[in-house]
Amino acid sequence: MRLLGIIMVMAGWAITVSGLFISSHNLGRAIIACVGIGVSVIGILGVLNSYYLARAIWKK
Amino acid sequence: MKLIKIKAQLLLAILGVGMALCFAAPLKARAATLTDQDVVSGISGPKTDDIAAKGDPGADLTGTVNDVTMADSKKGLTLADLANQAGQNKIAINFVWTLVTGFLVMFMQAGFAILETGLIRAKNANHTMMMNFMVYGLGLFAYYVCGFAIQMGGCAPIANLGGTYSLNHEHVLNLFGKPWGLFGTKGFFLHGATYDVGVMVLFLFQMVFMDTTTTIVTGGCAERWKYSAFCVSTIGLGAVIYPLFGNWAWGGGWLSQLGANFGLGHGYCDFAGSGVVHAVGGITACAVAMMLGPRIGKFNRDGSPNAIPGHDIVLVLLGCFILAFGWFGFNPGSTLGASGNGCLRIGSIAVNTMLAGCTGSFGALLYMWMRYGKPDASMAGNGLLAGLVAITAPSGFVDPLGAAIIGWIAGILVCLSVEFFDRVPKIDDPVGAISVHGVNGLWGVLSVGLFADGRSDYGGSWNGVNGSVKGLFYGDAGQLVAQLVGISTLVGVIFTLSFVWNWIVDVFVGQRCNPKAELAGLDIPEMGALCYPDFQLKTHDYVAAGSSEASSASVLK
Repeated sequence: MRLLGIIMVMAGWAITVSGLFISSHNLGRAIIACVGIGVSVIGILGVLNSYYLARAIWKK
Repeated sequence: MKLIKIKAQLLLAILGVGMALCFAAPLKARAATLTDQDVVSGISGPKTDDIAAKGDPGADLTGTVNDVTMADSKKGLTLADLANQAGQNKIAINFVWTLVTGFLVMFMQAGFAILETGLIRAKNANHTMMMNFMVYGLGLFAYYVCGFAIQMGGCAPIANLGGTYSLNHEHVLNLFGKPWGLFGTKGFFLHGATYDVGVMVLFLFQMVFMDTTTTIVTGGCAERWKYSAFCVSTIGLGAVIYPLFGNWAWGGGWLSQLGANFGLGHGYCDFAGSGVVHAVGGITACAVAMMLGPRIGKFNRDGSPNAIPGHDIVLVLLGCFILAFGWFGFNPGSTLGASGNGCLRIGSIAVNTMLAGCTGSFGALLYMWMRYGKPDASMAGNGLLAGLVAITAPSGFVDPLGAAIIGWIAGILVCLSVEFFDRVPKIDDPVGAISVHGVNGLWGVLSVGLFADGRSDYGGSWNGVNGSVKGLFYGDAGQLVAQLVGISTLVGVIFTLSFVWNWIVDVFVGQRCNPKAELAGLDIPEMGALCYPDFQLKTHDYVAAGSSEASSASVLK
């Protein structure tokens, strides 16, 4: 689960950087960058945080 | 025959005029040039006997040609002496400016220390103060050993500091036909050619910035972080993680070259560090706080959050004032000088800083007052800091109106963000470090791409691209894209590095302290001494009714 989260977080950055090569227009690059940021945020809050939340001290 | 004679006369006349022009120009130039002889014979200072007899109450006789250093006293004052003195004066002004603003930033550690300590419970005060105290020593040492070299070891010559020419090697990877600067390689232990006066000034200034980043994490992880884990984690942040992003943004690395390599405005622009300093600190705080989990008693079994108020609001607000004062070093000092290359913008940078802090606190105060019916003191303080964090990146590129808007948005954003992290991902952040520094650091980075007005001029170019930085509202959408790439790098790469490093620390050292110690307060179990030995301390407070007593009991078992 944690590895999946890390992969997602890094994949978000890879998407953003790949946008620099995929598109030559600022709008296209901006949209791809936003998608990349979104993927990273989901990886952090949706995957990694869920892993730790499931084991939170207040749930024991 | 007559025609040939006329042509010959015409040719001679043209040649004559040409020769006259050729000779006249140097003669004219020579007449305007000041020679050593002019300097020696034409300038004389006040008589030292006069000054000795009468003093100089009007300050007319002090600071004259008498004070210009001569290379050879037998030869007298020369033009070279005057030129050298002028150059040294410029660099001296810049050195003094950069050092004094660096000292102000160093004093921000005191602000962070008492702010964070005021926001946590009295039973953990010694522990929190000691974390804030030791980030200075641990972070500095790590940065001295390798952090500075990684960050600035390949930076371009910094004219304001006399060149810093020895920081001249960046490790570059060529990928897809583009150079990607990754890290510097000069300046480890500040030895060899980096034992240089300009490099020392740069080191001091950059070191206190790094220290700010490390101290942000201690706030987000307060009241449950094992002290030994904190020490190891801080060394990694100061030695590698912070310097890497610092290199990419400020040291000539790939983010700063997005303009030159991909035509994205002036590349990633972060004037004083909303991203480099604050977002890196806030994002690292998020990674560690998530890993640590919430404090015992922060959440009930149904997941609803409990407020855990700090123990001293006086410390909190005094800390905010100290930080606001230190920020006048943080932002205006980032010109690395007060003379030359547009450095006189320090006035506008200082005003922008002041305005954004002011509107940030006002925005947060109004939001809390309207939403909860009371003007919350700690959130007003956090609003001030949020405004200051947000204006840090754009402070050198925006006008005062832009600064005020950026600060206002930051003040409201910090309140929304604190509520969000409490209620949705349930990441316990005792001082609001993730919201103040992480979220608003990212907002500051983004705001450069929106509000930069294209009227700043720091030597004609920025990040190797001619002209001044312009945001979307002033016609350059490419700058906004560069800022988005920077945000993605912070959220993607810096988070991952921080997470992986702290995961390793968790495996080998263990991040979270013992639950019994946490309930008792970390001062005795972790530090061996109470911060307030004469006070009666509550040790099982804020444990929610019904569920948390049972929860605490189960944890203790």
